[in-house]
Amino acid sequence: MIGSSMSAVGRIWRSGRGDVRVYLLSVFSLAVAFVCLASALLVVFNLRAVETRWARAGRISVYLRDGTSNDQVAQLRKALEQTPAVASTRHVTAADARKEMVDDGVAGSLAVLPVEAFPATIELALTDDVTDEQVAAIAQKLRDVPSIESVETYQRWTDRISALVRGGVAASAVLALVVLAAVVSVISSTMRFALHRRRVEVEVLKLVGATDRFVRGPFLVEGALQGAVGAAASLALLAVLYAIVRGKFDDELGLLLGIRPTFLPWEIMASMIAAGAMLGALSAFAGVRKLSAV
Amino acid sequence: MVRNVSAFRPALRSGQRFDVSAAARPILSFESVFKSYRTDQPVLRGTNLVIERGEFVFITGPSGAGKSTLLRLVYCAEQADDGRILFLGRDVARLTEQSIPVLRRNMGVVFQDFRLVPAWTVFDNVAIPLEILGLPSRLIRTRVGEVLERVGLSGRGADKVSGLSGGEQQRVAIARAIVGEPALILADEPTGNLDPQLAIDILGLFEEIHETGTTILFATHDRSLLELRSHRIVVLNDGRAIDVPDGLAITIDEDDVQPVDDFTIPMAKVAV
Repeated sequence: MIGSSMSAVGRIWRSGRGDVRVYLLSVFSLAVAFVCLASALLVVFNLRAVETRWARAGRISVYLRDGTSNDQVAQLRKALEQTPAVASTRHVTAADARKEMVDDGVAGSLAVLPVEAFPATIELALTDDVTDEQVAAIAQKLRDVPSIESVETYQRWTDRISALVRGGVAASAVLALVVLAAVVSVISSTMRFALHRRRVEVEVLKLVGATDRFVRGPFLVEGALQGAVGAAASLALLAVLYAIVRGKFDDELGLLLGIRPTFLPWEIMASMIAAGAMLGALSAFAGVRKLSAV
Repeated sequence: MVRNVSAFRPALRSGQRFDVSAAARPILSFESVFKSYRTDQPVLRGTNLVIERGEFVFITGPSGAGKSTLLRLVYCAEQADDGRILFLGRDVARLTEQSIPVLRRNMGVVFQDFRLVPAWTVFDNVAIPLEILGLPSRLIRTRVGEVLERVGLSGRGADKVSGLSGGEQQRVAIARAIVGEPALILADEPTGNLDPQLAIDILGLFEEIHETGTTILFATHDRSLLELRSHRIVVLNDGRAIDVPDGLAITIDEDDVQPVDDFTIPMAKVAV
C-alpha cells in the first residue's frame, strides 16, 4: 500500500516536474483570485463578530424626564432589578453624564453646556441569554412609565451591522463565483497546456495499456495541488497584510468596532484550501477529460 | 530458453477467466479485413492472414501499402471498416473501451520513431508497462534490470533517453515492449531510423526475443533485412497480404513476376 502510494507520488513528480514553472504561474494567478475571496471572508467574519458583540452588548439606556425624583429612580431601579432579563442597573445623573463626556475627551467642547443639558439615565445591563423579543418587551413597558422620556435599545445599530454583514455575505458570494470561474479557467487551461506538452507521454501510456483513469490521475492530483497551494498562498499573503494593518491600526479598530479584529479561524482556512483542492481537481478533469486517442 | 507456449496466460481483466482453448488458436488472424482512410483509396482490401503462435513474420511492401495500418488495427489504434481481426480467437473490434488497455498489455509495440518519453530516464520508460500493472516497485526494479541487460543497456537505467543514440533509444523501446513478457510484439519499421549495421543488430535482438517463444510481426520495407534472414515473409500488395514462402531472394522466371515498386513477387509461388 505504502509502496504503491510512493510509486504514485513518484509518477506524479516524474510527469509534472517539467511543468513546474507553468504551475507556479498558475498558482500565482489562483492566489490573486483566492486573496479577493479570503479578504471578503475576513471582513464578513469580523463584521459578524461586531454584530454578535453588539447583539450581546445587552444594554438599554433609559432616559429620564427632567424633575424625576430620587425616590422615583430608586423605585424604578428596584422594579427593574427584579425583572429576570436585567442583570444590573446603574443610575447616571445629569452631572455624571456631563462628567463622563468631558473626562473621556470625546466631546470636550460640550463642557461649556450646563448640567441640565445632559439627560439623566438608568443604564440597564441585560443577561447574556436575553432575546430580542424580551428586550423589545422591556423597552415597550418602560416607554409607558410616565417618568421615562425615551428608551434606547441600540437595536438600530445591530440592524445596521446585520445589513452590513448581509451585504458582505452577498459580496463574498459574488466573489466566490468570480474565484470559481477564475480557478476553473486557469487550471483547466494549464492542464490542457500540460496535456499538450505531455502528449507523447499520454500516447505512450495508452500504448502500453494504461487506462484513461491511470493517465488522468497525475493531472488531477496536479490540479488539486495547484488549487490547494493557490488557496494557501492567498491566505499566507492575506495574513501578512493583516498583520501589517493590525500592527498600525489595532487600537483605532478596537475603538471603532468595539472588538479586536481577528484573522480567519483555522476551520475556514482549512475549508478554503480543501475547496481549492477540490475545484482544482474538477477543473483539471474538465481540462483533460478528452485524452487524445492513440 | 523457449517459453512453454501452452503455459501462456494473457493478462486479463479482473473477474475474467482464461479460456484454455485460446492457447490452441492462432495468435492473430485477419479475416477479410477492409480499411480505407479515403473511399477512393482503400488501404486494405479483404486482407486474410494467419499468424501462428511463436512465428517471426516480416510484413513488407512498398510505402503506403498498409503495413502500419495492419499493425495499428491489431492494437486498436484504428478500427477496421469490415472483416475481423482475431487475437487469440477474440475479435479486437468488439472489445469495449475498457478492454482495449488489457489487450495492449498483451502486446509490445516498437516504432520507427521509438516513441519514448524524452524527459524520462531509461528506467522510467521501460518500467511504465509494469507500473500500469501495479507491480511492487522492488519487482519492477528487478525486472527492468533484467530486461535492460538483455537489450545491452545494463547500468544505463538512470540515463535520460534524450541523451542516447538512435540505436540505444530503439533498444530502450524494445526493452519497454518486452518487459511485460507479451505474447506478441508488433514492430513498425523499427530499423527505419538506423544505419544498416545497427538495423542488423536490432533485428538480431528481435530474433533473440523470438527464440524465447514470443511471436513477432516485423514490418519493414528494408529489403536487405528480408534477404538476410529466412523468416516468413508476407507482402502487402494492392490491399492484400501475400505470403512468400521462399522469401524474396529466389531465382524466378522473368515472365512469372509482377513488379510492385522495388518488390518483385514470384506470383507462381505465392499463396494468397
